[in-house]
Amino acid sequence: MNQRRVAVTGLGMVSPFGAGPDDFFARLLAGESAVRLLRTDDAPRPLNLPFVTCPDFDPEAELGKPLAGTMDRFAQLAAAAAFAAWADAGLTRTAAAGEERDAWGVAWGTALGGTLAYEKGYRELWQKGRERISPLSVVLGMNNAANAHLSIQLGLGGISMSHTVACASSAIAIGEAFRRVRSGEAPVMLTGGSDAPQAYGVARAWEALRVLAGGDETTAASACRPFHAERSGLVLGEGGAALVLEDWDRAVARGARIHGEIVGYASTCDHSHLVRPEIAGQVRALQATLNDAGLTPADIDYVNAHGTATAEGDSTEAAALRAVFAERAGRLAVSATKSMHGHQLGAAGAIEAIVTLLALREQALPPTAHLDALDPACAGLDHVTAGRRDQPLRAALSNSFAFGGSNAVLAFRAVR
Amino acid sequence: MDSLGLIRDFLHERLGVAPEQVVPEAALAAVGVDSLMMLELMFEFEDRFGITLSKNLKSPTTIGEMIALMERLRREQSAS
Repeated sequence: MNQRRVAVTGLGMVSPFGAGPDDFFARLLAGESAVRLLRTDDAPRPLNLPFVTCPDFDPEAELGKPLAGTMDRFAQLAAAAAFAAWADAGLTRTAAAGEERDAWGVAWGTALGGTLAYEKGYRELWQKGRERISPLSVVLGMNNAANAHLSIQLGLGGISMSHTVACASSAIAIGEAFRRVRSGEAPVMLTGGSDAPQAYGVARAWEALRVLAGGDETTAASACRPFHAERSGLVLGEGGAALVLEDWDRAVARGARIHGEIVGYASTCDHSHLVRPEIAGQVRALQATLNDAGLTPADIDYVNAHGTATAEGDSTEAAALRAVFAERAGRLAVSATKSMHGHQLGAAGAIEAIVTLLALREQALPPTAHLDALDPACAGLDHVTAGRRDQPLRAALSNSFAFGGSNAVLAFRAVR
Repeated sequence: MDSLGLIRDFLHERLGVAPEQVVPEAALAAVGVDSLMMLELMFEFEDRFGITLSKNLKSPTTIGEMIALMERLRREQSAS
């Protein structure tokens, strides 16, 4: 099969820091945390937990009132991130003269979909005692709302897919988009992910799993401590991140800026437990991705870890990396940037794909923040801990390991 | 509130349409009311005026038609 090379020509993001991917990456290089204490006025018990929000994001200002009003927040985050990526790629909202978009598509990841819309409906029905809810509830809430809006707004006539695979949703979306461009099926794919888990019921459900990090005003910023001996759990966050994947030759021909190359992807399932991760499943995903990319462990200079800061998750991922990278593991640079941007669930894979691409582009690694006491179970890797590290980087992986046992790994290469 | 006021408030709040654009002769489509927004607008009328719209109601095409329809339903349903 004649496989195409796949360029990443557009990056976009709704960032908790307020600006785009370059600013986001610079903040991570500096070890800056976006985690704050979130306090709500929800009844019966307000939320009061470390969280990551995008406080500067104004959907109506960004998207216009009519469009923003037909979207739940996860779709608003998607649209803002995607339009930014589209513009970054030098593409216009409406097709340019002679530009045929019937084969261009969207693959979007979301773990939760329009949860806030559903929750609003539940409040109307059960809290306020109303008998009816807004007719828009269905189209606001449906998981494919984001990709549908993107296809409509940008006139993309190819496949329009949503991928709901918990924390691996957008990594899988990117991988599936990559395959479509690589095979020649689609010359351009818009991909990424978004989620808004600040819904009261969602946050309470995660709390009940006893996996959320605690904290107060003074400790919230350092609440998420992946690989740390005294880590206490993950920090949820909202966000949206988008990438434009494009046939390499097409991108070169039109003079597009190429941020990096996506070269491999694989997804596996542990097929053993809903929440307990397995080393074997992650090892298979890592090895399959390397095979897919035509790379060996010796070619990889950095791994952006899934690293959520849960006891089982971190140690399992470290063990999987040691197994795959063997004698090289001790020299494999690894960092978990969720320590600073939190866990955006269905958007996490896309955010971390952007971090990985920018690390390759800038030849600089962001740290795992707050990692001043390594869990011995996570040892045997070259953890990047003390702020920015500049080093030559050829290729890198981004890991996303989800509840349900789904594992996804993406491989990227620096532009040569 | 009368029907025109309700429509003006709704379109301003939901779509950012200036109230002076919302006149009886204006087509609903021209002020951004598509089939989904029509459902929302009808829902608003039901909510605010306490009327019930039948499922097979023929959708009006202009602001004036919408006003006439809603006023008629209000009269009929308040009399029954």
